[in-house]
Amino acid sequence: MEFVSPEGLRLDGRRPMEMRQIRGEIGAVAKADGSAFFEMGNTKVIAAVYGPREVENRSQQISDQALVRCEYTMANFSTGDRMRKPKGDRRSTEISLVIRQTMEACILTHLMPRSQIDIFVQVLQADGGTRSACINAATLALADAGIPMRDLVTSCSAGYLNSTPLLDLNYVEDSAGGPDVTVGILPKLDKVTLLQMDAKLPMDIFENVMQLAIEGCKAIANYIREVLLENTKQLEYRRGP
Amino acid sequence: MLQSKSFVRKTKQGKVVKVVREHYLRDDIYCGASICKVCDSSTARLSPSASTILILDTNVVLNQIDLLENPAIDDVVVLSVVLEEVKNKNISVYNRLRTLCSNSMRKFFVFSNEYHKDTYVKQMAGESPNDRNDRAIRVATQWYQSHLGAAARVLLITNDRENKRKATEEGISAETVESYVKALGQPGLLDLLVQPAPEDVGMEEVEDLRPSKRKVIYSEHKPMSEITSGLHRGIYHQGKLRVNRYNPFEAYVGSESIGDEIIIYGRGNMNRAFDGDVVAVELLPQDQWQEEKSLSIADEEDEEEEDVHLVPSSADDAPRNTDLAQGSVGGTKAVLCRPSGRVVGIIKRNWHSYCGSLEPMPMPAGNGGIAHALFVSKDRRIPKIRIQTRQLGNLLDKRIIVAVDSWDCLSRYPSGHYVRTIGEIGDRDTESEVVLIENDINSRPFSLQVLACLPPLPWSVSSEDLANPCRLDLRHVCVFSVDPPGCKDIDDALHCTTLPNGNFEVGVHIADVTNFVHPGTPLDDEAAQRGTSVYLVERRIDMLPKPLTEDICSLRSDVERLAFSVIWEMTPQAEIISTKYTKSIIKSCAALSYIEAQARMDDSRLMDPLTMDLRNMNALAKVMRLRRIERGALTLASAEVKFQIDTETHDPLDIGMYQIREANQMVEEFMLAANVSVAEKILKHFPLCSLLRRHPSPTREMLEPLLRTAAAVGLNLDVSSSKALADSLDHAVGDDPYFNKLIRILATRCMTQAVYFCSGDLSPPEFHHYGLAAPLYTHFTSPIRRYADVIVHRLLAASLGLYKLPTIFQDNAQLTSTADNLNYRHRNAQMAGRASVELHTLIYFRKRPTDTEARIVKIRSNGFIVFVPKYGIEGPVYLTPRGEKGGGEWVVDEQQQKVKKMDGSISYSVLQTVMIHMEVVEPQPNRPKLELALICR
Amino acid sequence: MRGFQLSLNQTQKLRLQRALEQLESLSSKSNSNASVAVADTIPVNYEDGVLKGHGTLDLDGEVVATLCGVVERVNKLVYIRTLRARYKPETGDIIVGRVTEIAPKRWRLDINFSQDAVLMLSSMNLPDGIQRRRTAVDELNMRSIFEENDIVCAEVRGFQHDGSLHLQARSQKYGKLERGQVLTISPYLVKRRKQHLHYLEEFGVDLILGCNGFIWVGEHVEAKGILIEDQTDKAEQLNTKSSSSTFMSLEEQERTYTSLETRQNICRIANAVRVLANLGFSVTVEVIKETVNLSSSLNLDIHEMLGSEFYVLVAEGEATRKSMFTKKKG
Repeated sequence: MEFVSPEGLRLDGRRPMEMRQIRGEIGAVAKADGSAFFEMGNTKVIAAVYGPREVENRSQQISDQALVRCEYTMANFSTGDRMRKPKGDRRSTEISLVIRQTMEACILTHLMPRSQIDIFVQVLQADGGTRSACINAATLALADAGIPMRDLVTSCSAGYLNSTPLLDLNYVEDSAGGPDVTVGILPKLDKVTLLQMDAKLPMDIFENVMQLAIEGCKAIANYIREVLLENTKQLEYRRGP
Repeated sequence: MLQSKSFVRKTKQGKVVKVVREHYLRDDIYCGASICKVCDSSTARLSPSASTILILDTNVVLNQIDLLENPAIDDVVVLSVVLEEVKNKNISVYNRLRTLCSNSMRKFFVFSNEYHKDTYVKQMAGESPNDRNDRAIRVATQWYQSHLGAAARVLLITNDRENKRKATEEGISAETVESYVKALGQPGLLDLLVQPAPEDVGMEEVEDLRPSKRKVIYSEHKPMSEITSGLHRGIYHQGKLRVNRYNPFEAYVGSESIGDEIIIYGRGNMNRAFDGDVVAVELLPQDQWQEEKSLSIADEEDEEEEDVHLVPSSADDAPRNTDLAQGSVGGTKAVLCRPSGRVVGIIKRNWHSYCGSLEPMPMPAGNGGIAHALFVSKDRRIPKIRIQTRQLGNLLDKRIIVAVDSWDCLSRYPSGHYVRTIGEIGDRDTESEVVLIENDINSRPFSLQVLACLPPLPWSVSSEDLANPCRLDLRHVCVFSVDPPGCKDIDDALHCTTLPNGNFEVGVHIADVTNFVHPGTPLDDEAAQRGTSVYLVERRIDMLPKPLTEDICSLRSDVERLAFSVIWEMTPQAEIISTKYTKSIIKSCAALSYIEAQARMDDSRLMDPLTMDLRNMNALAKVMRLRRIERGALTLASAEVKFQIDTETHDPLDIGMYQIREANQMVEEFMLAANVSVAEKILKHFPLCSLLRRHPSPTREMLEPLLRTAAAVGLNLDVSSSKALADSLDHAVGDDPYFNKLIRILATRCMTQAVYFCSGDLSPPEFHHYGLAAPLYTHFTSPIRRYADVIVHRLLAASLGLYKLPTIFQDNAQLTSTADNLNYRHRNAQMAGRASVELHTLIYFRKRPTDTEARIVKIRSNGFIVFVPKYGIEGPVYLTPRGEKGGGEWVVDEQQQKVKKMDGSISYSVLQTVMIHMEVVEPQPNRPKLELALICR
Repeated sequence: MRGFQLSLNQTQKLRLQRALEQLESLSSKSNSNASVAVADTIPVNYEDGVLKGHGTLDLDGEVVATLCGVVERVNKLVYIRTLRARYKPETGDIIVGRVTEIAPKRWRLDINFSQDAVLMLSSMNLPDGIQRRRTAVDELNMRSIFEENDIVCAEVRGFQHDGSLHLQARSQKYGKLERGQVLTISPYLVKRRKQHLHYLEEFGVDLILGCNGFIWVGEHVEAKGILIEDQTDKAEQLNTKSSSSTFMSLEEQERTYTSLETRQNICRIANAVRVLANLGFSVTVEVIKETVNLSSSLNLDIHEMLGSEFYVLVAEGEATRKSMFTKKKG
C-alpha cells in the first residue's frame, strides 16, 4: 500500500516530517491532585495523578523513596468497534509498566519517601500513538500535581513506511505493520528514557527514524512547557499577591 | 500551516464501523504551472508555453490510457481524487498513469486537490461519492482557472455527460475526449480512442456484417454480491483461470476450496474470461464432466490447431493432455476424470495489451473512414479481438499491439482498440520484438541513472583493492576459464594446483559483480527488475550494462579482475577436505573455449602446466560426477540446437544439435560443487533469508506420459526415486543409439522446472533439488547474467562478515517477491529464447525445404506428433487431410501406442522412426508456418 | 479554566475574560516572568553565591526548576513557591484533618500531605483537662475522643526523626469539629496568617482556614466549656451509644440541633469558598465575607451562588478590589 504519495503527502495530508495537531490541557479531573488532557490528532487521552499520598498497602512502602504506580486503560468506546476488553490484559499491563518506568525515571522520588503516587491514564479515543500521548498527558498531570521532576518527559513515535521515515504514525499507518519506534526523552537532560520498537530495522535507517522521533519529542516538549507556564502564570495572577 | 478536518466514513466489513480520520488541508500545495507567479515553481511540470491545461475526469483516464500515453497529449493536470478513483478501479491503469506522471519527458502534473485548502470538497448530505468526486474535479478545475487567470485556458476533459453539463453551467470549459482529439487534427490518434459504451453505433455495423450473430452468446455474469455469497456458501469457487497454452478451448482454475484444478472446456463455459483473470467457477454436475469436452470442441467453429514448435524442455512448457490420461485407465473413467465447471463471474480482470496481427480481410468498399477488423493474438490463449481502425490498409501486414476494452455477452469476441504498430509481419526484427514484448522482457537501453552507477572507464584493479585485507591476491595462480566460443561475459574461472601432500587445491572464481552493483542503487534496481540476461538467437539482452558485462566483471584473460572465490582442498578421490570462501584478485592466464580445452586434454603430446591442470581437474570432475550420479542425480538430455548465424544478415545458416563435450561436463561439475558449497554456507548463517533453488520431485501423474510411452516399447521404468529413475534410464538401451537419448528427452519434459525460493518460506525437506539429488542448491556462479547469483553473492559476503546484509533480507515478504520475480523472469527468458529459436527455425526452412528423419513421440487420432532430433523441433504429422475428422480410416491403439490403418496394412507406433518432409507454407498471406508431411516409404 | 466547567453565555464569557485580564495586568506589574515550568533554567547571579532551595536542582552548574511555580529569592536562597501541590507542612501551621486510622497511642490523620500525619495521644489535651500520664484506660477510650472520619483541628508539631509528621492539639481551641462542612481546596490558596480560626459573629459560624487546604465551616462552638461541662454526659453517652446507637435521646437531639438559619449560613459561606477556590482566588476571611455579603445583597439563593452569573460577579469584584488595593498602595 502507498502510505506516502509521490507528491510527498501521507494519507491524511501530512508530510512525512509533520506531526499531527497536538493539544494539551491541564485540569481535567477536579478530584485529582493533578490531571491533564492530551490530544495528538484523533488520539485523545486523559491522565489523573493522585499523590504523593499515604501508601495504601503498607507492605509496599519504600522507606527512602516514593512508590509510583500506573494504570493504563482504554475506554471501551475508544476504538471504532466497541469491544469489551477484560481489564488488565497483556497489552494494558505492558503499557502501564512502560509508562510507570518512564515516569518513575523523571520523578524525584527520593523527595517523597514513604508515599505513593498513582498515575491513571485512560485512552478516550485511539488513533495510533496512544503510548506517546499517555506519556505526554502523564507528564502534564504530574507537573500539575506539583510533583518534583528532573525534567519533562515527552514521547513521540516515528515509523518507516515506503522507505520513508514518518513522524507520529496514526492508526492506519501504525497497522501497516512497519517498524514503529516510540521514543521518550528528557529534553533538558538530553537523555532517552524510553525506546521501543518491535520490528527489525537496519541500524542506519533506525538512527534516522529515531532522530525524527526525537525531533518530535522536542517539539512536544516545547509545547508542553508553554502549556505549563501559561497555567502557572494564570494560577499565580489569580491568586494574587 | 495545518488545518484539521475530521470526517466520518462508514466502511462495511461485515458490520458497519464508523471510521474517523483526520484530514489535514494545506496551503503549500502548488499548481505546477511554471508560468504561475504565486506558487513555488521548483516542482512545476507544466510547460511554460502551455496555452491549454487539461484536467482529466476519472472515466477518461480509465478508458483512454493508451491515448494519454501518446505524446500528443501533454500539459495535463492529474488530480489526486482522480488518481485515487483510478487506483480503486484498475490498478494497472493506475500504474501506467503514475509512470506517465513520473516521466520527466511528459508534462503531467499531479495536483493533490484533496489536501489543498481551497479545493477540498466535503461530501454533502445525500450526495453519492461519485457525485462528490465529480464536484471535486469541477472545483479543482475552477480553482485552476481562477488561479492561472488569463495565462492559460483550463479545459476539463470528461466523457460523463452529467459532469460536462454541470461544468458548463458553472462556467468551466469542458469537452469530451472525442471532440478534443478531433480538434487536435491528428487522425491517427482517433484509433487510440476507446469506443465507449457497446450501444454505440459502431457496434451495429459489425453486427450487420454478421447478421446471424445478433443473439446472446454468453451467459450473463452474476452480480458481485451473488458471487460473494456464492463463494461464501461454497457453491462457487474462486481461482485464477489459466488457459492451456496448446488448446485455447481448455482452461484450468486452481481452486483452493476444492483443492484440485477445475477444468473448463470451451469458450462458452469460459464465459469471456481471459487467461490470468480471477474468476468464480460453478461446478458442472458430475455426469457432464465427460461429455462436456467433446461437445465443446465440436461446438466451436475454430479448429484446434497444432503448430510446429520446439521440443519442450520441461513439464511447464509441455502441452497438457488429459485425453491420454483418461484413455489409459479405461473402465475407471468416472473416478479419475477431474471436475469440470463453468465461469459464472469474473472477480478481477487481467486484461492488458496483446501482440498479434489482424485477420486478413478484404478492404471494405468505400467508407474510407472506419473499418472493423478482427485481431489475432500471437498468444493462442487469447481469443480474437475486434477493433476499429481508420488505417486498415496500413495495419493488415503489420504486427500490432491491441488493448482489450470490453466483452459484451452479445458478441462472440471482445472489443478492443489499436495501441501501436511494431513492424511488418515476418520481418525478423519485428518478430523478435514481438517475442520480447510477449515475454515481458525489458530490452530498452539502460537509463542514464543506471549508467551513472558504473565505475569510470577504463577500469582497472586499484591499489585500494590490492591493499584490502579481505581480498586474497591470487594473481600468481594459474587461473583459466572455459566457455563457449565467442563468450564475452565470462563469469567463472577455475584453477587447480597440486599440493605437496598429493591433494589438489581447486578454486572456482566468480566475477565479483557485487563489488560494482551496490544494493539500493538504480543499477541494482534495474538488474533486480530484469532478473536475468536473455539470450536470443541473434542477440543478447543484458541484465547489467555492457561495460560491466563484457569488461569490468568479465574474467577475461591476461587482465587483473576482482573475483569471489570458493577454494577447496580435495583428495585425488575428490573428497573435499576444506572449503574456503574469499574475495580475491585473479589474473586469468587463458580464456579457453570448450573445444580448445577438450583438444588440449585429448592431445597427449601437450604437457604444459595448463594442460596438466586441466587433466587433473577433469579427473576430479569425473569422480565427482560419478559420485553424484550414484547419489541419484539424473542425467537428462535436451534437444538444444545451435544456429550458425550469418554475421551480415543475421540470418541462420545452419542448425545443429548442441554438442556436449567432456570439457563442458567438467566445468559444470565444479560449478555445481561451488553452488552446493555456497548454499550450505549461506543457509548456515542465514537460515531464514537465504535464496536457494529447489527442484520439486515430479509426481507420478506427471511421469505418466513417460511411463506409458516406455511401456509401449516394452521398457519398464522405475520412478520411485530419482536414483531409481536414473538407473532405469541408464538401462534403457534400445536397438538404435539415439533411443536412450530420446527416452531421456521424454523424461526431461515430465519434470517441472527448478525454482528459486527464500529459505524462510519452506521447511528444510522441501529444499531438495530432485534433478541434482542435492539437499541444498543455489546459484552462485553466474552473477553477470543472473540476479539470483548477485543476491547469493551478497549473502555469502555477509556471512563472511565482509558487508552488512542489505535491508531486503530482513523483509521476508520482499525477498519472497524478489524470488518470485526471478522465477518469472527466468521462465520468460527461457520462453523468449525458445520463441526466438522457433522463429529462426522458420526463417531457416523458408528457403530450404528439407527431408529428414523423425521419431514419433505421441499418437493422435488423425496422425502423430513427431520429434525431429536434428533440428530439435516437434510438430504434428497428419495422416488424414485436416478438416475430415479421421475416425474412419485410422484406428488408435492406446495400449500399444499405435495408430493403424483399418485394413491393418500400415501402422505407426510410438518412438518409431519415420521420414518426413519439412517445408514452410503460407496458407494465408503473411502467415508462414512450418508444415511436416510424411514421406511414405 | 481548570476544575470546573461553566456554561457561560456570550456576555458572561466576555465579562469574565475582562475581569481575568484585568487581574493579569495587575499582577504582571508586580512580578513579571518569575513563573517557571519544570526543567526551566532559573537565572541566578552566581557571583553572590546561591543556596538552592525547594524545587530546584543543580544541572551542570545551572539551577533548574523541578516544579512549576514562582521563583522566590530570599538573600542567597533561591526556591520555588509551588502553586498547585499537596500541602507542605511547617511547624505551627493550623490544619484541619480527617482521622483515617486509630493506632496504638495515636491517631492518623489525612491532612493532604504525602503521608498521614500522626496525632499522639500524649500530644493531646485530655477531655478532663488534667495533665497526667496516659494510662491504658485512656488508650482504650481513644475512640471516645476521635473516631475514624472525624474532623479534627490541630497544629503541626514537626517532623520526627523517622520522618513522620506529628501534630499536637494542646489547646482548647483545637479538637474535634462537629456540625459543619469541610471543604477541600488547594493549599496554595490559603495564606499563612496570624489568625486561622475565625468566629463570624454575624452568621454564628466558625470558620477554620486550615493551612493544608481543608476549610472548616461549622456552627459556632464556645471554645471553653463544652468539652469540660459535657464531660460527664459524654461518659454516659458512651454507654447509651453502645447500647442503642440508632436512637438519639431527645436531649441529644436538642443539643445537636442547629438552627436553620445557621445551617443556611454555613452553606452560604461554604459556597462562597467553593466559588473562590474554583476561580483560583486566594481564600481569606475578608474575601469570604465580602463574597457572602455580595450574594446576600443580590438576594441570591444559596444554590444560585454556584451559578455562572455569580462566578462572573465574584471575578469582577475581585478585579476591582485588587485594583483599588494596588491603587491605594501606589
